[in-house]
Amino acid sequence: MATLADFGTTWTKALDLATGERRVLQTRDAGELTAEVATGHNARQRAPRDVNELIALAHGARRLISEADFLVLDIGSRDMKYVQMQGGELTRMDWTTTCGALTGFTLELLGSYYGIDYSAAAPSPHTVPVTCGVLGMEQLFELVAQGVGEVEAVARFARGIALNAHRFIGEPARFHLSGGMCDNRLFLQSFPEGTEILPLGRFVLVEGLREEIAGGASSRGE
Amino acid sequence: MTETRRRIGFVGLPPEEVLAPRRSETLIDLDNLIAGVSHDRDGLLPRTTCHILRRVLHNARALELDEIVVDVGPGKCDGARWLAHVLEEMLTVPVVRTENRNRAGAGTPVCDSDLPLRRKFEVILDGLVGAQHAVPLLQTPRAKAALWGVPAADFDLYDLFPDGTQVLGWTRCLENRTPADEDLERWAPEGVPTVFFSQNFCAKAMLAQHLARIHGGLFVDIDGALARPVRAKIEAFLRFNGAWD
Repeated sequence: MATLADFGTTWTKALDLATGERRVLQTRDAGELTAEVATGHNARQRAPRDVNELIALAHGARRLISEADFLVLDIGSRDMKYVQMQGGELTRMDWTTTCGALTGFTLELLGSYYGIDYSAAAPSPHTVPVTCGVLGMEQLFELVAQGVGEVEAVARFARGIALNAHRFIGEPARFHLSGGMCDNRLFLQSFPEGTEILPLGRFVLVEGLREEIAGGASSRGE
Repeated sequence: MTETRRRIGFVGLPPEEVLAPRRSETLIDLDNLIAGVSHDRDGLLPRTTCHILRRVLHNARALELDEIVVDVGPGKCDGARWLAHVLEEMLTVPVVRTENRNRAGAGTPVCDSDLPLRRKFEVILDGLVGAQHAVPLLQTPRAKAALWGVPAADFDLYDLFPDGTQVLGWTRCLENRTPADEDLERWAPEGVPTVFFSQNFCAKAMLAQHLARIHGGLFVDIDGALARPVRAKIEAFLRFNGAWD
């Protein structure tokens, strides 16, 4: 039986189809781990067959979501991507091509640096504009220098990322979320009030790889 | 023996009546990638200049040309019109300004053939300098996909598409020898999954995005090399719209 994996920039998610075991580990600690079919920024080095992330996301979401109409946003360490399906057909998709510093990895770094427990931190009504992650961090550090509490400053930064992500997907009232940010309570609470977010967890792309095993197709469909 | 033929560079597609008297010379399409010419950024043009116009300047500076013919009309772009001044004042090469408003279509057999997409672009561009394609062309009755746009800076784009992908947009106008034919440039078949491509910083992007909206296609803009997210979007679009079925 095969191993399917999402070899992301900082995190690897692997599924052993024989045992059903799921592993989440830092990519830097993945050692010699390989997979039969993989997706993610580091897939090509570790698998003979790689599937692009948008295709994996679309297939995975279709497996996990029972509705024919949905929008799923995946937030990775350094980028964001989404697909929208209507009647089971792909209608919209996009993948941020620049300024990846604004996403998951930045929040992870900040949480680690300030020792923030994201499950306990309160969301902020204020926002640090995070059009660019690097400039956003500069503003965050400036807030701290001005006496704003570290947790509050990071909460504003999280809200900036959430609003940016929400705009990126067209500001829907309801959407599914994929990726490690599903476990970040502060981030989930930082979207505009009334937005319904349905977390799918970290294995959506890996679930999408099952389709490749079943269909035997490459990302180009050959 | 010393080569006596003059080396004439051209930008866009000058009209045939201008090119014809020069066909006995060595014609060089300055829009295209030429082996050995460096395309590193050199600060001579603003960063917001499209990749193709930057390439024209680099080619013109690197090659020892005797003359440059530029289509400064609607068949090319405003950028080429201004670039003609830059070329003229930066180099010691005569610049001939011309406009191609030809409306007599030469046909689009390569665009509509079953050739691999990369090969189609090679054949069309080679044809501009007079090279004849030797391959027989079989027409595709109904293409599984289409690509709209100008020739890309990075030909790897074409390898993402199935063989027989139909060529639309300005490249179709090029093969037809009517580069200023806006109606032909705007045409796209209904029901064929179409990727509308433009170079970054090209004014055609607004048309590409508009047409993508109208036809339910995918709009992408690319600056130079094909980035991974753009590649992924094209692959997913073609896959989920049945281009590989």
